[in-house]
Amino acid sequence: MKKYTIAFTMFVVLGLLLSACGGTATADTKLEEILARGTLIVSTDPAYPPQSELVEGGKRAENTKCAADQHTASELSGFDIDVSVAIAEKLGVEACFVTPDWTLITGGNWANRWDISVGSMTITPERMEKLYFTQPYYTTPAAFFVHTDNTSYAQPGDLAGKTIGGCTGCTYDMYLAGTLQIPGETINLVVDDPQFMGYETDLNALQDLALGDGMRLDAVLTAQPTGVGAISDGLPLKQLGDPVYFEYLAAAVDIATTPDPESFVQKITDVILELHADGTLLQLSEQYYGLDLTTAAGEFDWEMLNQFK
Amino acid sequence: MAVEFLQTPGKPPEDPHIAMGQALMAQQRKERLILMVRIGVVWVGLIIFLIIVLLQLDFDPSYVLAHYPFVLEGLLITLGISLASIAAATVLALVGAMGRLSRNPLAQGISGFYVSLVRGTPLLIQIYIIYLGLPQIGKTLISMGHPQLGQLFVLTGVQSGILALSLNYGAYMTEIFRAGIQSISHGQREAAESLGMNRWQIMRRVILPQAVRIIIPDIGNQFIAMQKDSAQVSVMGIWEMTYRANRFARQDSKFMEMFVIAAAFYWLLTIVSSWLEGLLERKLAHAYER
Repeated sequence: MKKYTIAFTMFVVLGLLLSACGGTATADTKLEEILARGTLIVSTDPAYPPQSELVEGGKRAENTKCAADQHTASELSGFDIDVSVAIAEKLGVEACFVTPDWTLITGGNWANRWDISVGSMTITPERMEKLYFTQPYYTTPAAFFVHTDNTSYAQPGDLAGKTIGGCTGCTYDMYLAGTLQIPGETINLVVDDPQFMGYETDLNALQDLALGDGMRLDAVLTAQPTGVGAISDGLPLKQLGDPVYFEYLAAAVDIATTPDPESFVQKITDVILELHADGTLLQLSEQYYGLDLTTAAGEFDWEMLNQFK
Repeated sequence: MAVEFLQTPGKPPEDPHIAMGQALMAQQRKERLILMVRIGVVWVGLIIFLIIVLLQLDFDPSYVLAHYPFVLEGLLITLGISLASIAAATVLALVGAMGRLSRNPLAQGISGFYVSLVRGTPLLIQIYIIYLGLPQIGKTLISMGHPQLGQLFVLTGVQSGILALSLNYGAYMTEIFRAGIQSISHGQREAAESLGMNRWQIMRRVILPQAVRIIIPDIGNQFIAMQKDSAQVSVMGIWEMTYRANRFARQDSKFMEMFVIAAAFYWLLTIVSSWLEGLLERKLAHAYER
């Protein structure tokens, strides 16, 4: 009899496992469903500090509404996490986190496993085929950096015909080749005839530039925070002029979300605009990056994306 | 008889050959022990050598000491997923083996197809199909007006992981179970038939109790292999040991340190599991020792 009992127990356990996910959806829109549930399920890949990382010794919050396979904000930290918590607070719900691979997030078709990605995702035309983007919550400004010894360049336009380094296949590469497109922004190539030198990462390019003015490179085009970080690490570099373009980083929602996610995307956009207006995002940006990366994102014209056709 | 004679109190052994035999056994035991000690010394030497090499290569031992508890927290999840999966795989394998051995073409066809299909595809692909592929079926079912049924196809990461590992190991273990059952001599079956038992009774009362002794050590081996294969569920964002080591490493770019921690815990886990499996094997063999 014992063997039957064991087999029976196993089937029951399996059945429970499989039926645990049979939640019933009665709401008409995603927003209603989230408000009724009381939790906002956010996906984040904690592989990218300082945006999102794991907290050592982080304990699951008590009295949480998050499901057993979701994580509470106390177990993670970073700019994206704080922004998620701020968004959830404005909605009056609790932020819960799941951590799938980044490629699973950007690929869309989330099967309603999570509601939203707050993952510093750049708005690109390819991604817009699978995802709805909200108002961006911050930007990555792209700026030129030159050696501190240099005195002959005053603005990016002075770099005509010079050798400029950057990571291969990044937006910097595309910008210098004149092929970069960013939804919601007109891009003007301010440098005539740049000679692009590709590197595996931006940091390699910055290190080559630091060897001396014009020794291997005349300038590097990279993310402003990356360049500023290299300078604070002691590299003899300086920023040349203002950023030349902005990459807008926004929260994203799967287009295939059910029920209807449009009012949800609209609501998150309103919430992010509020967070821009009341200075919450600016304060977080200063805290994590020591820079104002948010103002340009608040001025972004979200309606221009024209996503709900 | 000689043993009984020896055990009689007050009578010293008179047979000089017994003393010689005992001396020989003691000598062999001693030699085995010395060999074990020497092998142990080689192991310790290899471990020290590896540590020295690592230390030469910008390896930070204090980082390991400071951050190993973070990886250790994932041990229970690794173990839990493996235990749940091996339990489900055992049930699957038992059913699969019955199918493989039955004379019913439908049962044999289904189980043979299952074993071939699952053993012929990588575990990672199976995980992706269950986690990313099945929801497409679910979506179709929901749009066709079966929301409850459709939801069943959208599994969470943990559910997908357990299902994939169970299906995968169930297929390998089907063959183990089949071999175990077939290893019981045909005479046993004939004897049981002559007592008037039907096929089901023979299987349950005669064949399986004996086959289990052969199968259980192999289940143990599969369990050990599964503990390591469970690392692959980390792609779905389950915070087991591999995931924790991988994601934490990126904070300070200490990949070597964090993966060495994870490797060490997997190794320890399998050593402990092998030892437990050995104990179990010896216990099962007890009844058959002469």
